[in-house]
Amino acid sequence: MSARYGMVIDLDRCTGCGACMVACAAENNVPPAPPRATPRTGLTPMLVHKVTNGMEGTARREVFIPVTCMQCGDETPCVSVCPQQAVQVDKATGIVMQMPQRCLGCRYCMVACPYHARYFNWWDPAWPAGMEKSLNPGVAVRMRGVVEKCNLCHARLHSAKEKAAAAGRKELDPADYIPACLEACPTGAILFGNLADENDAVFSVAHSPDAFRLLARLGTEPKVYYKSGQAWVKALAEHHSERAKESKHV
Amino acid sequence: MNLRRYLLVFGFGFALAVVTGWVAFPRALYVRREQPLAFHHKTHSEKSGLTQCDSCHSLSSDGEFAGMPSTEICAGCHAEKLGTSKSEATLVDNYVKPGRETPWLVSSRQPANVWFSHAIHTRGGGLACSECHGNYGESDEIRIYEQNRISGYSRDIWGHSISRLRRAPHDGMKMSDCEACHRHHNIEVGCLGCHE
Amino acid sequence: MKFSRRDLLIGSAGATAGLLLTPVPWKLLGDVSIWTQNWPWIPQPARGPVETKQSFCTLCDGGCGVRVRMAAGYPVGIAGIKNHPITKGALCPLAFAAHQLNWHPQRLREVRHRGRAASWGEAQAAFEKACGEGPVAVIDGRSGRAASSVLEAFARKQNGSYHVVLGAESEGLAPYADWSGVPVAALGYDLENARTVVSFGAPMLDGWGTPGRFTRLWSERAAGAADPQLRLIQVDSSLSRTAALAWKWVSIREGSETELAAGVARVLLEEHLVSSHGPMPQLSLAEVAAQTSLTTEAIRDLARNMVENRPVMVIAADGNPAVAALNVLLGAVAAPGGIGKRGEHLQPRAPSEASIGSPRALLLDSTVPWEFVPETAAEVFRFAAWDGGGNKADWLLPAPGFLEELTDVLTAPTSAVETYAVAMNLAAPAAEVKSAAQFLLQIDPTLPVVEKVIQARCEELFRIRQGTVYGEQPVAVTKFESAQKLEEQLRKGAVWMDDPRRLGGFRCELKKWPSGNAVSRGTNWDTAWAPPALPALATKLYQESNLREPPAGRKA
Repeated sequence: MSARYGMVIDLDRCTGCGACMVACAAENNVPPAPPRATPRTGLTPMLVHKVTNGMEGTARREVFIPVTCMQCGDETPCVSVCPQQAVQVDKATGIVMQMPQRCLGCRYCMVACPYHARYFNWWDPAWPAGMEKSLNPGVAVRMRGVVEKCNLCHARLHSAKEKAAAAGRKELDPADYIPACLEACPTGAILFGNLADENDAVFSVAHSPDAFRLLARLGTEPKVYYKSGQAWVKALAEHHSERAKESKHV
Repeated sequence: MNLRRYLLVFGFGFALAVVTGWVAFPRALYVRREQPLAFHHKTHSEKSGLTQCDSCHSLSSDGEFAGMPSTEICAGCHAEKLGTSKSEATLVDNYVKPGRETPWLVSSRQPANVWFSHAIHTRGGGLACSECHGNYGESDEIRIYEQNRISGYSRDIWGHSISRLRRAPHDGMKMSDCEACHRHHNIEVGCLGCHE
Repeated sequence: MKFSRRDLLIGSAGATAGLLLTPVPWKLLGDVSIWTQNWPWIPQPARGPVETKQSFCTLCDGGCGVRVRMAAGYPVGIAGIKNHPITKGALCPLAFAAHQLNWHPQRLREVRHRGRAASWGEAQAAFEKACGEGPVAVIDGRSGRAASSVLEAFARKQNGSYHVVLGAESEGLAPYADWSGVPVAALGYDLENARTVVSFGAPMLDGWGTPGRFTRLWSERAAGAADPQLRLIQVDSSLSRTAALAWKWVSIREGSETELAAGVARVLLEEHLVSSHGPMPQLSLAEVAAQTSLTTEAIRDLARNMVENRPVMVIAADGNPAVAALNVLLGAVAAPGGIGKRGEHLQPRAPSEASIGSPRALLLDSTVPWEFVPETAAEVFRFAAWDGGGNKADWLLPAPGFLEELTDVLTAPTSAVETYAVAMNLAAPAAEVKSAAQFLLQIDPTLPVVEKVIQARCEELFRIRQGTVYGEQPVAVTKFESAQKLEEQLRKGAVWMDDPRRLGGFRCELKKWPSGNAVSRGTNWDTAWAPPALPALATKLYQESNLREPPAGRKA
């Protein structure tokens, strides 16, 4: 029975605290960027953007949007351009699996991804002396020269499968597979589950009228949805973010 | 000039290369390394009733595999010296008493980016330990650990035979070996099914 | 038969052909590629048994429970504890990389004396000499801990003085303490029962109190709702994160909170929106409007919003007495949904002396925040886990960091109910460290021992038979067989919480409307905003996401 794992992020609940970013980096052994790194060359598999409605004074509104790999559907831009088959959509889980070990670093996928959700290891990872003790053994450390992105906390999927096997079960227990960002979020803004299961809460929320996806017109069919009751936030989905408008590299 | 001579010289070079490649190269490629102490599996299975592999190499309730048993497990019986062997003396004096982990050389060690779940294969798939590790637990000999000088991994990963022909099913733990078994049993897992 | 160059060439050609039929080229290619993927300078995670343990974060006094994943004996992953009755598994962003914080480049790993490296022996000798020459003032940043009893006992024996530094949230409670006589340490905010929370600049959703507590409440009762059960009104001079998410943002000129409080009080009294009759503030509504740059209509609206959905509670960012007086007017003191008095079953905290005076030496515990820089001629012995600048400390002494020492976790200052927990040390220290309490114990072994104090407190909790221990399941204290079993549970990461109490039983007397701003901290402190020491990876993340900005008017 194949699953389609996806998320719904409630933008009315996101306080922009950044706990998801920190938990993601800690879980995935993301090294601290060297001083010469810039926002364009850093490694942030989960990145929270602050977006405003462009007005000033009391009419100003802000929203915080956590952006990670959108886990596009079967027509993923990155899979279609990779010369190495270093990224694949897993048939069993629907997760877009990035294999840094297979990547040769051409960065074509970074160009192809419309969400700028892929990051390149410009430098060999280096932690301050002693910090290597705190590395997560479930995730391999990458070398420089490869692209990485969110894999929906695959290490946790592994642990959940293993636990199920040890208990004699064929199917994993959904309570065992929780991505780090969801676990970290203090307001519970992130909802995760199997979009192929109609009984899963994420299914009904993803299909509710308040749910939307970023750049839906491109046809990437992402499995990461957003949800907001605010009309101006929903309208953002088809435009570049405020930050993107200001930065020169977009 | 003299065709015969050329053929002879060519043949000589050819033969030298073939012999070097098949005989000298495997010997030079691997260096033999000593384990911290000589551990006899058969002695333990016969004398102490530890007949099952998982008496010491066990799975936790979460399915995590213990791998090499910790010194604590050895200390369960060897808190003090039980016999007169040199190996046991090394164990008790250098590792049990100071509370240090024995630095075993693990012959089935895979790279860090490989994820292999013993729970899924043994409990879930019903595989016996000997299918991948051979009847090692019953052998009389102490296993020799040979390390590849270039890659740093154990010879058991490539397999003992340098040509990988006519080898025992459990001789070799490269990705192609995993793939062959998966193909045979028709179990598809995807890249991140085995990688981290 | 001469062996010529031609022979060599032909022989080499033969060898090359032969080599292709051997495993050499293929094996070498494969092995060299593996070699290139195993550079020794790329750090690898430790291989070893993985286990999960529970403890408590001690980075601030919020006392959040942390579930720690350990590999090969060291923490490798942090998450919250879902069963924690107050945080319900929520943590602040710092917590998730806190296990890495112990190795931050700013971590203090050696004793420093006026900028140069020194030893513990030298520090101890200098301190003992100072003790012999005059009184020592001991400053504690988090009173009530088992370690605090060591500090306080030492100060008493040495004829020195013991001082407690209050955090901003405790300072917010100071006016109520002044007006009622109840000690600050016994007061808390009953947020769970409030239906309107008016925050005068307090970062309710961005680092106030125990991080997960209000964010969880707000998420459950307010987020995304057009007509929320819990209304958050944020009075803020800029669009802070809390203001952006609040039900209503009241934008005032910076620094005019006192005036606004006076204006709102006037409206509440003049329009009879509260049952209280006074005291009436001096300022007129027009003056308040001018000072705050709000219209008088906006001020009236705010007052009406406050009383529409009761119970209402007002929270100040610091010890502003005018804002606190609003709570008295609104009847939000000693009532559900307002300022309440907690139980104080465990040993009450030692009274703190107000002014430091001129001691011979100053001992600052590592819980004293870096913002507090003592203005003194005394010799300063400062304990710290991370170097916040080393300014004005003669001796910088490396203290235990995150999960590096056994300590207990007292009730968070903002909590409505009393709690107690034991934070086990799960991480081996990154350097040779000593806490102030351990340092003093080495000098005077007759001082109380932290483990014994914790044991005594567990015995006391067992004896009073009140409250519940929240571990895997909540278990009432009355169901425990012995104090040891209770302590065992606490050491495994459970938290004791008192039974819900009637919050009344005291009152605040307010004779006239308070004037002036925040309560003065005394003359010995000089405070400046200092950016918090973030984990190495968090620093870059925050820069890249432009989320972390200094407060308005200050540069990072």
